[in-house]
Amino acid sequence: MPLALLAVLLPTLFWDRPIDTADTLRKAGIERLYVPAGREQAWRKESFAATTFDRARAAQAVAPTVEYHMDVASATRVPWVDANGWRFEREPGRSFFYDAPAGSGALAAAEAFAYGIEAAIRAAPEDLQQFARMLKFLREIDRLRLPERANIGVIDDGSDTMAEVLNLLARHNLLFRVIPFADPKYDLNIRNVPEAANPYEFAMKTRRVLTDEKRLLRIYGSNLVLVRLTGDASQARVHLLNYGKAAVKGLRVRVLGSYAQRKLAAFAHPGEALEDYNLQDGATEFTIPEMGPYAVVDLRRDSDF
Amino acid sequence: MAAAAPAALAADDRKVPKYRVVSHYQPATQPGMPGPYPGQAASVHAEKCIDESTEKPDPAVVREMVARGMRALTGDADVRDAWARFITPADVVGIKVNCSGAPGIMASPVVVAEIVRNLMAVGVKPDSIWIYERFEEQIETVHYDRYVPEGVHIWTAETSRGSKESYDPATYVETTFFDEEDTRSNMIRLVGSRFTKIVNVPNMKDHGASGVTGCLKNIAYGNFSNVARSHSGSVTNTYSFIGTLAAVEPLRSRTVLQVMDGLRGVWHGGPFSPSRKFRFYPKRMLFGTDPVAIDRLLLDIIDDKRKAEHAVSVWDRSAKYLGAPGDHQNNPSVNEFVREPGHIQYAGRLGLGVYELDKIKVANIEV
Repeated sequence: MPLALLAVLLPTLFWDRPIDTADTLRKAGIERLYVPAGREQAWRKESFAATTFDRARAAQAVAPTVEYHMDVASATRVPWVDANGWRFEREPGRSFFYDAPAGSGALAAAEAFAYGIEAAIRAAPEDLQQFARMLKFLREIDRLRLPERANIGVIDDGSDTMAEVLNLLARHNLLFRVIPFADPKYDLNIRNVPEAANPYEFAMKTRRVLTDEKRLLRIYGSNLVLVRLTGDASQARVHLLNYGKAAVKGLRVRVLGSYAQRKLAAFAHPGEALEDYNLQDGATEFTIPEMGPYAVVDLRRDSDF
Repeated sequence: MAAAAPAALAADDRKVPKYRVVSHYQPATQPGMPGPYPGQAASVHAEKCIDESTEKPDPAVVREMVARGMRALTGDADVRDAWARFITPADVVGIKVNCSGAPGIMASPVVVAEIVRNLMAVGVKPDSIWIYERFEEQIETVHYDRYVPEGVHIWTAETSRGSKESYDPATYVETTFFDEEDTRSNMIRLVGSRFTKIVNVPNMKDHGASGVTGCLKNIAYGNFSNVARSHSGSVTNTYSFIGTLAAVEPLRSRTVLQVMDGLRGVWHGGPFSPSRKFRFYPKRMLFGTDPVAIDRLLLDIIDDKRKAEHAVSVWDRSAKYLGAPGDHQNNPSVNEFVREPGHIQYAGRLGLGVYELDKIKVANIEV
């Protein structure tokens, strides 16, 4: 089946609370649920599209957030971001389960959607309104799935050291794909990270060897936004996930390649358009005036949207 | 004042990062820096310009200081003529204040009000005057609005820290210091899109990273985003970054006047000044167009004061004076970074002004 025809999965609320919370869900606009085994019939009687979700078969995702470790010495002053993109890359085809505390449910949904994975998200009751708003936003995004684009191919040895390297590559928006064999289509192939290697130094060395000029995508103006890039010869889609609590204003994005047409969908900012759009030196640059937890930018070389 | 700086000043061996300057603005025929008075400064001292106990400036004395300074700098008999050399009625003027140490120390609102008054005397409308700074939470403690006529703009680039919305995406300096992800520092958009002239109003302050912070640092770090990335651990790249930023067009061409407010000063712990412990009162203002020359004078003002207080010299690069984070805030012989006062000489090499003391002509005036 052509990739473009595959529907992108929508994340789903996992709800293990009593049936008397049905009104709360309805008020939030939730219609579809994952529930523990044995409870689906009760929820269906309440007119919810309920399906059993077996947590045991799913991989665990961390609650997406940012942590400021002011009292911990580190190589940089960059806050720590808890993100799952690298896990999704490492375990393609797996379903993931998020136990998302208050404030993280909507971002978890966006993250799962951005990577096109099946996800059950146990959101906090106080997050339901925002979570439902995010689902509505995600439903309205064109569901074409495009091939992933990356600069770096990584042959994953499954080690903890490699896990941390993948985490740091993702953290620094060094786009990679986990691949079985070295592939010359990537600018750089990585294998055999020495066990004793400092993962941060290794990731930074990778960046230096790759060079910023070759990077398919760069962002300027936030160190809390992580990206995913998909695309083919005629179009590109940029997923931008903001792990910070505050909106990001004036985020500048640079995508390698010249794209004449563009379209922005930013959660909670309907009608917003890209600003300061510029094609120069074989790259496309633009500014997102303001973004909350998630934004999607679609770019096309020629044809209009 | 000290006769000469130590040999460490030369610092020719300092590693300079690779900078990529992106700007489509062309320089003016005569850029504002160093402007028409390279290697010159008017230094005005007035014992009664500020009450040390209350830290309240005397507006009448400040007015006299500004008038005498501007006349001495230009040679004009009429202060209005002096201002008219730099500003026309059609100009939109940005006044780059310094509020990083506010409310303990900042471009005094009395000084700024006097600058605004002189701009208006030349014919600039209040609506064409912008008092500006990068961070809202710093400037809002000063209340410039209480000192200037209605219509004068009081504006900040970052209403929330880190936002880039008010910076020009097409005018920036790109470099990497410490593998930071965001490698661009963008110029405030108004500098290119709105302002036709800029008056720079720094203070007389020590600075833990750059040695001192005066004209150059205020105009450089105060007009670009994402500059704190130049420091990490005990290392700072202020040596070359300050001058590099200050030289970017149109900032260089449009910054036509330097008015250093030294009513108060900070001799240690700068640029901040949470307590009066390290504050002092030079009671002096410096006027000129050459930021390098004025900052060269500032270096000696700060270092002389530090010597008098038995603090480590701004020139001392010894690791033995480096302390744990925060230690420097209480101990004037502890450094947070290896200081880079050589940034002033570096800026001189970029053509921003005259560094050598024996080539700087100072008109000393007592009010």
